[in-house]
Amino acid sequence: MNEPFHCITCSDEGCEMTVLEWDRGTGLAVCDAGGGVREEVETALVGDVSPGDVLLVHAATALTRLQGGDR
Amino acid sequence: MRFVSEFRNPELGRALAHQIRELADPGHHYKVMEVCGGHTHSIYKYGLEDLLPDNVELVHGPGCPVCVIPMGRVDDALDIARRPEVIFTCFGDMMRVPGSDATLLHAKAEGADVRMVYSPLDALRLARENPDRQVVFFAVGFETTAPSTALTMIRARAEGITNFSVFCNHVTIVPPLRALMESPDLRLDGFLGPGHVSTVVGARPFGFLPADYKKPVVISGFEPTDVMQSVCMLLTQLAEGRCEVENQYTRVVPWEGNPNAMRVLAEVFALRPHFEWRGLGFISQSGLAIRDDYADQDAEQRFTVPGVRVADPKACQCGEVLKGVIKPYECKVFGSACTPETPIGTCMVSSEGACAAYYNFGRFNREKQLVS
Repeated sequence: MNEPFHCITCSDEGCEMTVLEWDRGTGLAVCDAGGGVREEVETALVGDVSPGDVLLVHAATALTRLQGGDR
Repeated sequence: MRFVSEFRNPELGRALAHQIRELADPGHHYKVMEVCGGHTHSIYKYGLEDLLPDNVELVHGPGCPVCVIPMGRVDDALDIARRPEVIFTCFGDMMRVPGSDATLLHAKAEGADVRMVYSPLDALRLARENPDRQVVFFAVGFETTAPSTALTMIRARAEGITNFSVFCNHVTIVPPLRALMESPDLRLDGFLGPGHVSTVVGARPFGFLPADYKKPVVISGFEPTDVMQSVCMLLTQLAEGRCEVENQYTRVVPWEGNPNAMRVLAEVFALRPHFEWRGLGFISQSGLAIRDDYADQDAEQRFTVPGVRVADPKACQCGEVLKGVIKPYECKVFGSACTPETPIGTCMVSSEGACAAYYNFGRFNREKQLVS
């Protein structure tokens, strides 16, 4: 995962991202997508998140919080 | 890399390969369908077929969302994209999917304002920044990407953005699996269930496969040892005479899925009576339409589209590939007229399409077939 070859958006292949900042008001988080790439991620489906949480992201929406993250 | 390196451990992979060999009955030829394009990609990227015994065959299923979009829908997308007032946005792979006379990439070259986005949120941002233009998002994908589209539509409404709409082509995974099971030309022993679709819908919807068709299912992750372990679990079920839905991908997939995502999907989308799938034809209640309550964001209502059904190119055998009836290299045009640079069929477009996976990783397997 997180490799440039993969299409991370259209397929059933998610991207693991680490939360850097979260804006409670907008429900959007800035996440580290790996390789220095930052993405804005919708968090409505996973509830409150904190920096360091690892999320499974599809098409810029977090579908689930991954177990084992540094929380 | 956390969550990744553990699941690419070669020793673990070899141990699982050994276990699979022990489990497989030499007198039986196993056919296991991996439903999801992500699995197909992993299988070929890591050469997992070479680790399996000859009598355990992986059959590639219809789970690549780009591959299943019919040509008529691409034509409809082109019709919208060519309007001067429109900024047409889509995922990268969709730009190369052939319609009857062009791709979205061709339309862009001819002057249409077609832009690649990574998410519907990107499209909404474009709408915010271009209030005098109509921004349309070409929504494709299974239950993994549909929540993202739905949440973006809810956000657009909350922000009062009126120049954003969605050309909805979202599909659901269960109806095509049922259609495949009704297909007389396919014999399968079991399924590797789609990992990330299951994060949304949970494991329960796959219960019909063991209940109605006596086929076991293992919901699988995408790393090489995930896939190997899932094959192992499936063969164990068969060896023990069990037939149920099991979840190998427990670190990601909750049994009940994500109820918030299901609620959002139900708020924005309703099932279409029928939806056409490339190569599979019309399948009842397999596609999502935008509910009347969100009709103001439905591009099919905002713009009139031709809505014409177009037959697949005669030379293309994507349908048989999607049903797992033939291997990609058995298609007449594979690797000659149809390549990732000049795809005829959709399976050659997406990196997760079975044909592109075979082509990109050089796994033609012709020699193996000839010897056997």
